[in-house]
Amino acid sequence: MSLVELQGIKKFFDDVRAVDGIELEIENGEFLVILGPSGCGKTTLMRMIAGLEKPTAGQIFIGGEDVTALPPRKRGVSMVFQSYALYPHMNVFNNIAFPLKAQSREKKYDKRAIRDKVENTARLLEIDMLLDRRPRQLSGGQRQRVAIARAMVTQPAVLLLDEPLSNLDAKLRANARDELKEFQRSSNITAVFVTHDQIEAMGLGDRIVVMSHGKIQQIGTPQLIYDDPANEFVATFLGSPSMNILRSDAFSFGFRPENFLPKTLADNPENSRIFHYYVKRVEYLGSDRLLYGYVHGHDNELTLAKVPSNVRVSLDVDCDYEFAVHNSDIKFFDKQSGQRIEEQNLQGVV
Amino acid sequence: MALLIWILQNFWSLLVLSFATLVGLRIAYRFRKYGATRAELSHILRRSPFYLVVLIFCFFAAAPFMIMFLHSFKVDGDLYRRPQPFIYRQDPTLEHLESLFTNTAYLDFIRNSVVVGVAVVIITLILALPAAYALARLTGRWGERAGILMFLVYLVPPTLLFIPMFRIVVMLGLKDSPLALIVVYPSFTVPFSMWLLQGFFKAVPPELEEAALVDGYNRVEAFLRVVLPLSLPGIISTIVFTFTLTLHEFIYALVFITNTSRRTLSVGVPTELILGDVYFWQPLLAAALIIAIPVGFAYNLFLDSLVQGFTMGAVKG
Amino acid sequence: MASASDVLNPRRYFMDDRRFVGVMFLAPALLYILLLVGLPFLLAIAFGFSDVTVGNTELNFIGFDNFVAVWENDIFRQVFGNTVMFTLVSQVFILIFANILAIIFTQEFTGKWFARFIFILPWATPVSLAAIGWLWMFDTKYSPIDYLLLQTGFLGPKGILSNSRNLYWLANPVLSQISVIFVQVWRMTPLATVILMAGLSSIPTDILDQAEVDGSRFMRTLLQIKLPLILPIMVIALLFSMITMFGDMTVVYVLTRGGPVDYTRIIGLYSFQIGIEGGNLAQGAAMALFAFPLLLALALLMLRTASRAEVR
Repeated sequence: MSLVELQGIKKFFDDVRAVDGIELEIENGEFLVILGPSGCGKTTLMRMIAGLEKPTAGQIFIGGEDVTALPPRKRGVSMVFQSYALYPHMNVFNNIAFPLKAQSREKKYDKRAIRDKVENTARLLEIDMLLDRRPRQLSGGQRQRVAIARAMVTQPAVLLLDEPLSNLDAKLRANARDELKEFQRSSNITAVFVTHDQIEAMGLGDRIVVMSHGKIQQIGTPQLIYDDPANEFVATFLGSPSMNILRSDAFSFGFRPENFLPKTLADNPENSRIFHYYVKRVEYLGSDRLLYGYVHGHDNELTLAKVPSNVRVSLDVDCDYEFAVHNSDIKFFDKQSGQRIEEQNLQGVV
Repeated sequence: MALLIWILQNFWSLLVLSFATLVGLRIAYRFRKYGATRAELSHILRRSPFYLVVLIFCFFAAAPFMIMFLHSFKVDGDLYRRPQPFIYRQDPTLEHLESLFTNTAYLDFIRNSVVVGVAVVIITLILALPAAYALARLTGRWGERAGILMFLVYLVPPTLLFIPMFRIVVMLGLKDSPLALIVVYPSFTVPFSMWLLQGFFKAVPPELEEAALVDGYNRVEAFLRVVLPLSLPGIISTIVFTFTLTLHEFIYALVFITNTSRRTLSVGVPTELILGDVYFWQPLLAAALIIAIPVGFAYNLFLDSLVQGFTMGAVKG
Repeated sequence: MASASDVLNPRRYFMDDRRFVGVMFLAPALLYILLLVGLPFLLAIAFGFSDVTVGNTELNFIGFDNFVAVWENDIFRQVFGNTVMFTLVSQVFILIFANILAIIFTQEFTGKWFARFIFILPWATPVSLAAIGWLWMFDTKYSPIDYLLLQTGFLGPKGILSNSRNLYWLANPVLSQISVIFVQVWRMTPLATVILMAGLSSIPTDILDQAEVDGSRFMRTLLQIKLPLILPIMVIALLFSMITMFGDMTVVYVLTRGGPVDYTRIIGLYSFQIGIEGGNLAQGAAMALFAFPLLLALALLMLRTASRAEVR
């Protein structure tokens, strides 16, 4: 049995279907990332796991127990908020000790035990020298560690993280991401991480849940989701620049810009599809060249190509070239629903 | 009229009945929505002490107003013959209400209050609107200090100032003239309004004014054409609270105006409707209630924006 | 494009100069207020050191005589004591009730709008008019409160409180003081509540959610999170209503005029009675000035708290 199980979870705010029927199982010890654009319902879903919102319908199980009607403190979860929500009037020690004190009635912690637990957790996160400081005296990165320490000190079954990296500046963020992943792996805690940042999601997640409009679009490892998207939304939401989508009368098909290369560079031309590509504009990005243009027969659908700069092929503006995509890199989607479909015949389409 | 009599005669039973109906409807609504289960019943039981506390506080807050309402329509015999202050044993009468408007200077009080209030609001807006904007946007640290000074001035109580002000008013020949109040009241309405307006002005994104400046307006025009229209809700609530501040003011009005027909409501009602130590209770209570209810409505309507203005001024200040 | 005449005529750009417009905007209000408050304030001090009366317009300075006379006046000492006592005692109750009400009114419940309307009435009603309602409630003979007590057996021949049919609220020394404090608490609590509500609703919801996830129950969240976080705002509310009450005489003027004897006389009222009704402007001003150092201390304390709160 999985550690966390969500069955038919729905949450409506009046007429707004924030979360609309979620089935999800979270395994023990995994790092699960919920990824989606803002307003897709991912934060609401997490708040329901935490117990801060009651679902309109459906059931939540943690450790096999139905916790749907239980308040947060009975669920064995802890949470790190986007703002870190450190108590500004308490020093770091008291911030970390707060959940222990709050639960001391059920769990019978004495002063000694609280001190030990706080100090151990602080040492683990390397903030043991900051215990006397107030939150406002800490840097962004330190605040994040304090928030994680406070969440970890009760040894929760599940650690919920609501975009905890988005308040850090870009340089710190990459570092904090590494540390978070390392920490999760070494402590072997189950973590659910909500984000709208696909790079964070790809870098951190053992599995990624892609959400949109309150529904799960796809669940899978980062590689699966990137290479084998279940539908047009997932295909275009992941990847930067995003997948080119071209439409025909019967279906849509797409391929990623980095797989769209001059024919001369294709390593397996027999198994590739050839397109006539008109280059309108070239952007030089250092390691890559980004080409903007049109595929013959699709003059209204801007198509991008990402060609490594170190290959010496001259690509000029206002010229036609032959470009190739390996057959396995072309994905087909249903025109109405956007779902992936079987390979179609591209004859006559391009 | 018949309805009023009926309401007055059955005041308490109507109060209890209407309350019971509301509670009943609410419970019925919850039962329909969630089912009349045991959990639902225990939820209602758990919530009831909370509502009881609310009810007790409301009762204390409203008690004098309920008595005012009830007693305004009693004939003398019914009011002064004991022991029954809570019910009508004789038919209610409008005679006291009529006499309040015909035999007393009550209408004069209202007119004077309105004249003073409107004039003070106008002066306050003329002075406070630009000043608050200057504090919010234009002046740096010295403006901040000026703001603190203003605030300290607001804290100087009228009890300290009314004696010298009285002297000045007499010297200027303004005694018994509404002009005295119109000139003096801005001394507290302007600091109050500045503090409030400053909060609303700070809530206007500065980019909008900057856009107006780039578009070819000067600073004064940007203020008039961009900031003022955008802060209109804040300005309206400032007007409401300035006006009610003038209605509330007692000490200056008591000291500066001694002529009955020149007095304003806050002083006129408690001093002029009493002859020596003879109280005409029904008109007195009615006079107080008639003012209390609309002002109460105004406060409730604009309370949220008042709080918002003040917290904005404080948070971003 | 700037034309030659623009360059030659710098006055055209005054309206764009932040500093210039700032001064222009601020000056009228600042001057008006300073003139209207500063001048009488200085005059009050001058009066305090002179022998001016209503009839006598000359200012003869007589040093500290007024202050000495005022301080040696037994009535004034009682009045000063009353003022401090009324202010402090009412603040205790105001703070307790305001905290309870602020917590109530930051929750969601059915009928909240109506309850809020009712509970704001005492503050919204002009003080002098609300006091009339209470004057009737405390009436010597017809007091509805007495009637209730009589019916419930607290009054009357076998009454627990008194064997009379009335308590004579405003004629009894202790009861009159209680009545005045009660009315002050009644009318000032809504203001303090509103200030505390603003404080409570400014606590970030993340912090409260966090406390909930951390396992904190209602009372712990209240005592360890909410109250400490609104403490600075609470101090401001407290000082503000203290200052307001210190400088007010309306309630006692309407209810008791200071009686019985001097039990409910306060500084504001006494200085009105001596200075205006008695015509001794100098002594009246001196009395009012006695309270000023206290008020100033309170105001400065308030500003300090406010600026500290902002740093946090």
